[in-house]
Amino acid sequence: MMRGRLTRRRPRFGGNGWLLLLILAVLGVSIWVMTPSGSNVLHRQRGNLGLRLGLDLQGGTHVVYRGVFSENTTNDEKSFDMDAAIASIKRRVDSYGVVEPVIRKLGTESVDIQLPGVEVDEALALVGKTAYLEFREVEMNGTSVVRLSDYTGGSRTDFFESGDSGVEGTPINRLFVGADGLPAVFIVESEGSLNYLDINGNPIDPGSIDATLDTALSWMPGVGDVDGAKKVLTGAYLTKAVPQYPSADAVSGEISVGIKWNDAGTDLFNEIALRIKAKGDNQTPQRALGIFLDNELLSAPEVFPSSMTESSYGSEASITGDFDSSEARKLAIQLTSGALPMPLEISYGPKSVSATLGADFTQRAFMAVYIGVLMVGLFMILYYRLPGGVAAVALVIYTIIVLAIYKAIPVTLTLAGIAGFIVSLGMAVDANVLIFERMKEELRAGRTLKAAADAGFSRAWPAIRDSNITTFIACGILYWFGSSIPTATVVMGFAVTLFIGVAVSMFSAIVVTKTLLMLLSGGRLAKRLPLYGVEAKAEARDV
Amino acid sequence: MGWKRKRKHEMFDFASKRRWFLLIALIIMIIGAVLAFTPGGLRLGWDFKGGFQLVLEPYEGTSRDTVASKLNELGYGGAADRIQETGGDYLIRMGELGEDDQEALKAGLGEIGTVLEGETGYISPAIASKTTRDAVIAVSVAIAVMLLYITWAFRKVPHSFRYGTAAVVALVFNVLLTFGIFALVGRFFNWEVDPLFITAMLAIIGYSVNDSIVVLDRIRENKSRGIGGDYDSLVNFSISETLVRSLNTTITTVLAVLAVYLIVGGPIRSFLMALLVGIVAGAYSSIFVAGQLLVMWEHGDWIKLIPGASRLQRNKA
Repeated sequence: MMRGRLTRRRPRFGGNGWLLLLILAVLGVSIWVMTPSGSNVLHRQRGNLGLRLGLDLQGGTHVVYRGVFSENTTNDEKSFDMDAAIASIKRRVDSYGVVEPVIRKLGTESVDIQLPGVEVDEALALVGKTAYLEFREVEMNGTSVVRLSDYTGGSRTDFFESGDSGVEGTPINRLFVGADGLPAVFIVESEGSLNYLDINGNPIDPGSIDATLDTALSWMPGVGDVDGAKKVLTGAYLTKAVPQYPSADAVSGEISVGIKWNDAGTDLFNEIALRIKAKGDNQTPQRALGIFLDNELLSAPEVFPSSMTESSYGSEASITGDFDSSEARKLAIQLTSGALPMPLEISYGPKSVSATLGADFTQRAFMAVYIGVLMVGLFMILYYRLPGGVAAVALVIYTIIVLAIYKAIPVTLTLAGIAGFIVSLGMAVDANVLIFERMKEELRAGRTLKAAADAGFSRAWPAIRDSNITTFIACGILYWFGSSIPTATVVMGFAVTLFIGVAVSMFSAIVVTKTLLMLLSGGRLAKRLPLYGVEAKAEARDV
Repeated sequence: MGWKRKRKHEMFDFASKRRWFLLIALIIMIIGAVLAFTPGGLRLGWDFKGGFQLVLEPYEGTSRDTVASKLNELGYGGAADRIQETGGDYLIRMGELGEDDQEALKAGLGEIGTVLEGETGYISPAIASKTTRDAVIAVSVAIAVMLLYITWAFRKVPHSFRYGTAAVVALVFNVLLTFGIFALVGRFFNWEVDPLFITAMLAIIGYSVNDSIVVLDRIRENKSRGIGGDYDSLVNFSISETLVRSLNTTITTVLAVLAVYLIVGGPIRSFLMALLVGIVAGAYSSIFVAGQLLVMWEHGDWIKLIPGASRLQRNKA
């Protein structure tokens, strides 16, 4: 099965001219990315070429959170809840884009977190929040709404409505918020009496409550039926949450978080919404659905008749709450990752932590990259002469492009990542070695440089293609695996760098080397076979 | 063509020794698997096992060096790799420690600073055993898909499934050899399996199959051009043709890794060692495993793999 490529001819300068332009364009963009002005545009740090380095090379931020548990929690329960919290924290940090954090359980009730980089305030805000999303409705006394003064004014010993009695797991309470939406007072029923608590859960005297709160609405948990049991509608029934930005042509757009319920959540939400809708007329307080995040009232939209059908509100909704885009993104990540089973408090830090390996390793790692390029390039030049020199140039271009991609994405480079990159230098010239060996054979057979190069490239192609596709397969599966498991980000990060390395090496070995060689093939150097590592004898023989 | 063949490649008859090559490979794979997967073979590191962590708020005059020498004095070597500075404090990671050792350590370090109790305690593994298991599954899936792809890519050659199998067996050989040597050498140098090692294995899995594919591709091409006569010499000839390439690629890669080893070395020695072994194994197995497996399969004389079996057969005859 001879491939017909040996006779295929391209217009001499047309194809090469375009390829040369492409190479110069890619190289130009890559060099610009690596310059300080590229760093400014991409908002990368100064130093280290603006590359993002991992904890082992650059250090980062260290913080210890302690779970806040109620007094009678056993160590086993603490440990179990902490594991759940850590899983949620890992999902949050990964979704936020902090690659290769170190998140470990400390003892039974703390979590030790190290994040690469220093500008991690945002990331920590993401981690520390419980993100307990809850939906509440306004408590009714007959046909009128209940306000705080209805409780403090009388001497009640129970709640006005008892719709949420018998719900297990979550504390049954009434929540009163101030004008700013922040929680102010809780009322909890226990053993035939009502207890007043402040936002920290400490008992307070009802007489001491600020009079401006008297008109605060009484928010009771929104309860519905799930599989025959009473449940409170919370963020636990979400399957996903995404930030939603208003379209550009919208008249009054508000940034919101779109949520999607799972099946149980859809039914639960539907039941509660229908009940709220029946509570009163349009534009009355009792028609409001209270959306609470960590007891803060985000918004209280009015429940309108369903736009879909009379009896179904569907499985999707959106939460508004005066968000900016970063808040909406954080909330979406937190809701998707799940609420923490308990609040966290910072018990240590945040402090900047030194590199696990010591600072001088960063410089040494960069030095290793340069030396690696130099050694591989030298070997290619010494062994393959002129084409080797071309390959060495291609190798430098490869290095610049790959580093630029690392910087642009950005990829967090650990020492292992840098070592992997250096290994890829050897692999990157592999395609060139394959091609040049073929070329030598063709030159010995007496072909012109152009024909030999053409034949070398096309005959080496099947091997290059198949081996690289096999590597891509490995990348794809490792990436898929790494992204589906929160603890396997190391694997995912490796898959990304491997993919970048192999893809760019194909570009440099095939497009760059070939274009440069073809440019040479027109010149005088093309006739001097020793420059290609082929003995002059063969030249004499065939000329 | 004939001219080229005669002139360039002094052929070495690999195929006639296939029995020995494959036998050696088989033994290496078995030893590698035993060393890697029996208890005590591979030692798991901090990220897999967890351990004791301690935060020390230093007294005035206590430096990182003071802490390191204190740790040495208390009998814990390799101190420099254990200490991280966090704010003005020192974060010290130990392996598993018994209650008594923990107390002794706290008392010892208490002489040069305050041990912060809230941040001191047992650290759970960062990599759960479930993750390791899932990683093994992912790698197995990846290898299976590679097998399918190579079988498909070689579909124009008779028995293309053999080519896929040969490449995959060579890949497994590379992995097991690396495991085995890591376990063996690691025993002397106290190497532990850490995320770096996992990365090295993934790199070997991703890259080392390339060598086999280059050899198999030559066989594919030469076969389609009718070069080489019988299957044995076809394989011999193809291997000879790709020898220079295998050698050169190995040299360039080893050069690159050596550069890292000499300049960075230190904490990633074991990682680099694993990479080196995997790279060399890749070149070796493409010739002595993948190629020979094809010849063996062509002849179907698997019985030769059992030492003495052929003599037994001959005697019978």
